[in-house]
Amino acid sequence: MSEFALERDLATQGRVIVALAQRALRVQLRRAQFLLPSFLLPLLLLAVVASGTSAAQQLPGFPATGSYVGFVVSGTIMQGTLLAGLMAGIAMASDIEGGFFDRLLSAPVHRASLVLGRVLGTSLIGAVQAVLFLSVALLMGADFDGGIGGVLIVIVLAALSASAAAGLGATIALRTGSLSLMQNLFPFVFVLLFTAPAFLPRALLNPMLKSIADWNPLSYVVEGMRAALFDSPALGSVWGGLLAAAGSVLLTCALAVWAMRSRVKA
Amino acid sequence: MGGAARGTTDGSAAIVVEQLERVYPGGLKAVDGVNLEVAAGEIYGFLGPNGAGKSTTVRILTTLLRPTGGRASVAGYDLVREAPQVRRSIGVALQEAALDPLMTGRELLALQGALHGLKRAEARLRATELLERVDLVAAADRLLGTYSGGMRRRLDLAMALVHRPSVLFLDEPTTGLDPVSRATLWQELKALNDDGTTIFLTTQYLEEAEQLADRVGIIDHGRLVAEGTPQELGRLVGEPGIYVKLVDESQTELARGLLAVHGAVSDRRAGGLTIRTALGARAIAPIVRTLDEGRIELDAVEVEEPTLDDVFLAVTGHPAEEEPQDSAQ
Repeated sequence: MSEFALERDLATQGRVIVALAQRALRVQLRRAQFLLPSFLLPLLLLAVVASGTSAAQQLPGFPATGSYVGFVVSGTIMQGTLLAGLMAGIAMASDIEGGFFDRLLSAPVHRASLVLGRVLGTSLIGAVQAVLFLSVALLMGADFDGGIGGVLIVIVLAALSASAAAGLGATIALRTGSLSLMQNLFPFVFVLLFTAPAFLPRALLNPMLKSIADWNPLSYVVEGMRAALFDSPALGSVWGGLLAAAGSVLLTCALAVWAMRSRVKA
Repeated sequence: MGGAARGTTDGSAAIVVEQLERVYPGGLKAVDGVNLEVAAGEIYGFLGPNGAGKSTTVRILTTLLRPTGGRASVAGYDLVREAPQVRRSIGVALQEAALDPLMTGRELLALQGALHGLKRAEARLRATELLERVDLVAAADRLLGTYSGGMRRRLDLAMALVHRPSVLFLDEPTTGLDPVSRATLWQELKALNDDGTTIFLTTQYLEEAEQLADRVGIIDHGRLVAEGTPQELGRLVGEPGIYVKLVDESQTELARGLLAVHGAVSDRRAGGLTIRTALGARAIAPIVRTLDEGRIELDAVEVEEPTLDDVFLAVTGHPAEEEPQDSAQ
């Protein structure tokens, strides 16, 4: 392929990815079935956790973060992005079962673009979730020492973790092509969430959970969010969070592209 | 753009299929050594009952499924080695008009334009052109969930045309449509073909193939069992039949007995009898004479040309609507 042809091809694929991301956003925002789990459910859990378990803040070893809601909102963002990723997988399985995916496959586009369009759309949802959930946390009394810079880092981390979750959702959807299976994965979001220090510091988890959390990349992302929000390296590492999130994006997107290739070769 | 397809600019065939085969995991052979050739600018009707292998063949020819044997080229490009070029040259409307109910017609057309490499402004312009062509301007900004079956099919066709493909694949485009919507779609397909588009059309409707197709291939149990123009296929059945409508239907059994001397008599058409003889239309006079001698009064006599129904029965041994047990789709 000549340099010009490659550039032209990349520009075309860029337009394809943006168009597919727009479609993913539109469909997610127009369907209550997708919108409610991604936005409403995390807010409900935030309200319940912030009001019902705030006594945890009195435990010895709990870091000083001002209000408890400020500490747990990172877990809420993580929950939202995981659910957005699951919804992306459900939407893709729905496309496969309904036949719309065949229309996409019969177009002259790179198979990877079909995955990346969905991932990009979901990353934007992750960014919007972060803005919304942080705004609600501020209204509930949270105070973030990290300022605007910290918030921007959290938005980036949310977008990356939504992308990783979308890559995982797409992988499962492409491997199984089953809408009902995707819908039954809902409880696993909470398994992932509660095996990360989403609502408690890692040091306060019981030994078994803590050892699982050490291997869960979400732990580093959620702690990176807290470190950014409170400008406190004691709460985690921003770079560790970025590395874990970016690595998860690369891994899950590579898996999704592999699943796509396997599917079209079958 | 598909108009620059390799195979349609030098007068060669638009679709060439040689010994095409598809065996599914588990051993089911859905397509079994199909050979066919479709000339550029032709409408080719691919006919067969459910499970005969029509849709599997279309999925292979549109690069959605890999063949397990044989080879094929579309618009001059090899189906496996040059799949991206094939996709650039073809338009595809698969069964059931798979459209996203949460998008509007205009949005879907713009998305399809982007998928085929059009820039944003070009895609919007093309969407407007196509909405006008398929008479969906008024519904363009409504969600597809509110469209009727006919509207969805017309939009599906418009989406297949976004990039001006040289070869169009339509998998049962009018299944489930009412007669008016079906006739509208037929008109549109004829107009497209008049503009030079090659059309590969699968259908369960014999009438549709007769109305639209220049040539027809009949597939049964994954094998191409007959091929030709509707007229050529008609000749496989033999001479036309003679249909006689009786004034008094209570004399039907008497007439059947008398007419048996001329050939095979059937009552497949309501209100009368059809006689198939080796004489064809020349049998009218002796048939009328026989009925006259039996004092049976005639209401009408018609020469009945063989239909593709007759052809299907003649070449497969079973009617077209019968579903084979080893359904492959």
